[in-house]
Amino acid sequence: MSGTGKEQSVGIPPAEQASGARLTTLRILLSNEFGLLVLIVLFAIIFSTISPAFLSKFSLYALGRTSAVNIMIGFSMMVVIITGGLNLSVGSIGVCAAMFGGLLMQAFAMPWPLAVCGGLAMGAALGALNGFIIVRSGLHSFIITLATMSIFFGVMIFLTRAESYRDISPAFTSFGRMKLAGIISPLLLVSVVAGILLSVLFRYTALGREMLATGANERAAELSGIRVHRIITYCHLLSGVLAGVAGLMLVSRTGAAIPSMAGQLGQDWLLPAFLGPVLGGTLLTGGRVSVLGTFLGSFLVTMLTTGLLLMQVGAFWMQTYLGLLLLAAVLIDMVRRSYLTRRKLI
Amino acid sequence: MSRRFWETDWFGPLMVVVVAVAVVSILNPSFLSPFNIQVLLLAIAVNAMIAFSQMIIIAIGQMNLSVGAIGGLSAIAFAGMMEVWGIPWPIAAILALALGVLAGVANGVLVALTGISAFVITLASLSVYKGVNLGITEAQPFYKIPDVVKGLGNDTFLHPLPWLIIPCVLAALLLWYLLNRLPLGRSILAVGGNEHAAELSGISVRRVVIVAHAISGLLAASAGIMLVGRLQLGQPTIGDDWLILSFAAPVIGGAILSGGHVSVAGTLLGVAIVAIFTQVLVLFNIDPFLVQVVLGVLILWAVGVNRFREVRALKHSAQVAS
Repeated sequence: MSGTGKEQSVGIPPAEQASGARLTTLRILLSNEFGLLVLIVLFAIIFSTISPAFLSKFSLYALGRTSAVNIMIGFSMMVVIITGGLNLSVGSIGVCAAMFGGLLMQAFAMPWPLAVCGGLAMGAALGALNGFIIVRSGLHSFIITLATMSIFFGVMIFLTRAESYRDISPAFTSFGRMKLAGIISPLLLVSVVAGILLSVLFRYTALGREMLATGANERAAELSGIRVHRIITYCHLLSGVLAGVAGLMLVSRTGAAIPSMAGQLGQDWLLPAFLGPVLGGTLLTGGRVSVLGTFLGSFLVTMLTTGLLLMQVGAFWMQTYLGLLLLAAVLIDMVRRSYLTRRKLI
Repeated sequence: MSRRFWETDWFGPLMVVVVAVAVVSILNPSFLSPFNIQVLLLAIAVNAMIAFSQMIIIAIGQMNLSVGAIGGLSAIAFAGMMEVWGIPWPIAAILALALGVLAGVANGVLVALTGISAFVITLASLSVYKGVNLGITEAQPFYKIPDVVKGLGNDTFLHPLPWLIIPCVLAALLLWYLLNRLPLGRSILAVGGNEHAAELSGISVRRVVIVAHAISGLLAASAGIMLVGRLQLGQPTIGDDWLILSFAAPVIGGAILSGGHVSVAGTLLGVAIVAIFTQVLVLFNIDPFLVQVVLGVLILWAVGVNRFREVRALKHSAQVAS
C-alpha cells in the first residue's frame, strides 16, 4: 500500500517497481487529490456559467471563509481517523472551546489572544480526556466519544444556561471579517497554515510517523517500541485543539459564541467532519492520511453547498445532496481502489 | 448453557431499577402516582422502540446512525399522508412503516453489497433521509392529526396502562422470540459474533445484514409513528435526539458493541433506567439540561461494567480450562 500523489503511508513498499513514466502519470491522474482538483475546477466552471454571481468578489470571499471552518473540522476528524478511531464529539468540543473563549472575553474581559489560548486549552483538555478514557478502558472510540459528546454538551448547556456570549472583543471579530486583497479571508490562511503544519507533522516528524504507524497496525507499532496509548491520547488532544480552532473561527466570524452553533450536541459538524477526510482519501481503518486531500475535499463540499444555494435549488434539500455526495465518494473510492489493485498500481 | 440468574444481563439493570424506584418513591411519594406511572410508561414505550431499532443492528456488530432520520421521515410521512392526501390513519401507518422498512433495506443493501463500514453508509443515509424530511416539510410541522391517533398516543386502555405500551410489549416479545428461538435470530447473532465463521457455516451474511437493517427500519418507523400520536403533530424534528438514547439503553442492558450479544429484557430495563433518571431530574426540579450529561455518564458506566464482566468471564473460562 504505497502512497499515491501526496498521500503518505506506513507499510510495505510495492513488491514490483512499476516502471515507466506512463504508469507514474496514470497514478497521479487516478489519485484522490487530482480527482478533487478536477471536480473543483469543473464545478467552478459550471456554477459560474449558470450564475455569474458565483465569481463575484463577495461570493469568493464568503466561500473561502466558510470553507476555512469546514477544513478545520475535517482536520479535527482526520487526526483521529488515522489511528483507526473516530471522534463523534468534535462538534461538542468545538462549541465548548468557543463558549469558553467567549466567557473569558465577556466575563473576565481578557484580551482576545489570551482568551483564544484559553479556548484552545479547553479543546485540548476535552480531547485529551477522550483519549485518556479510550486508552484506559480499551473500548472503541465510537462509544466513548458518543458518551462524551453528550456529557460535554450537556455540561456546557448547564453552565451557560444556553445563553450566548455576545460581548466579543472587536479586534477578534474584525479578524474574522477582514478581507485581504479584497477576496481572501484571514481565516482561510489559518486553515492553510494548519494544513502545512499537519503535513510537516505527518511527513517529517517522528511523532507524526508514530501516529500513522499506530493507526496502520497498533500491535506492530507497540512491538516496535511506540507507546501507542500515549500516541492515541495525543491524536485525540490534537483533534480537540483543531475542533477548538474551528469553533473559535465561527465566533470570530459571527461575532458571538452561540451554544447552538453546531446544532443539537454538535451533531451538525459530523457530516462535514467525515466528508473532508473521506473525499480526500484518508483510510477509515487508519494508517494513511492525506492532508491536502482533506483540504481539497472540505473545500469541494463547501463549494458545492455554496453553489447549490446560489442556484436556489432549495436549501432544505441540501442535506440530501451532501449525504448522496458522501455515498458517491465512498463508492467511487471503492471502484477506484479495485481498479488500481487489478492493474497492480497499488 | 444455563447461567445463574444473578449472572444474566438483566439482573444488574433490574436491581438498579428496583433500588431507584424504591429510593425515589420514598423521597417523593408522587413518583408512584398513577399519572406519573402513565407518563413514565409512555416515555418507555416510545424509547424502547428506538432502543430495539439500534439493538438489532448492534446484534450484527454494526451501528445505525440513521435510526432517528428514519423515524423522523416515517413520522412526517404518516402525518403528511393523513393531512395532505386524506388517507385513513391505519393505511397511512402501514405505508409509513413500509417506508421505514424500505429505508432500512436501502441501508442494509448498501452495507452488504459494498462492504463499506455501516458507520459511513448510515452517516450518509442519515443525511439523505433527514434532507428529504426537511425538503418535504420545509421544517414546518403537519398539524392535522385525527383525534383517534391523538387518543391512541396519550390515553390509557386500562388505567394507568397507555395504548402505546401494547406495540412496545409486542415488539419486545417478538424480538425475544426471534433472537432466542428462530433460526434467523440465531443467524443474526452468529453474524455479529464472528462474521467469517458464520459465512463458513453456511449463513448468507448479506441476507442477514439486509434483514437486520429492515427490522431496524421497521422499529424506527414505529417509534416515529407513535411519537406523532403522542406529540399530536407531525414534527420534522422527531428523531433528532434519538442517537445517544438508542445506544445508551442496549449498552446498559449488557449489549456488546462488537456484536453477537444483546438482551431484549436488558435493553427494556435500560430504557426504564433512562426514563426513571430523566423523571427524577424533573421531579426534584433539577436542571433538565443535565439529562444529556446523565445519558452520557450512563453509557460510560455501562460500557465499563460490560467490559469488566467480559474480562472476568474470560479469566473464569481460562481458570476452568486450566
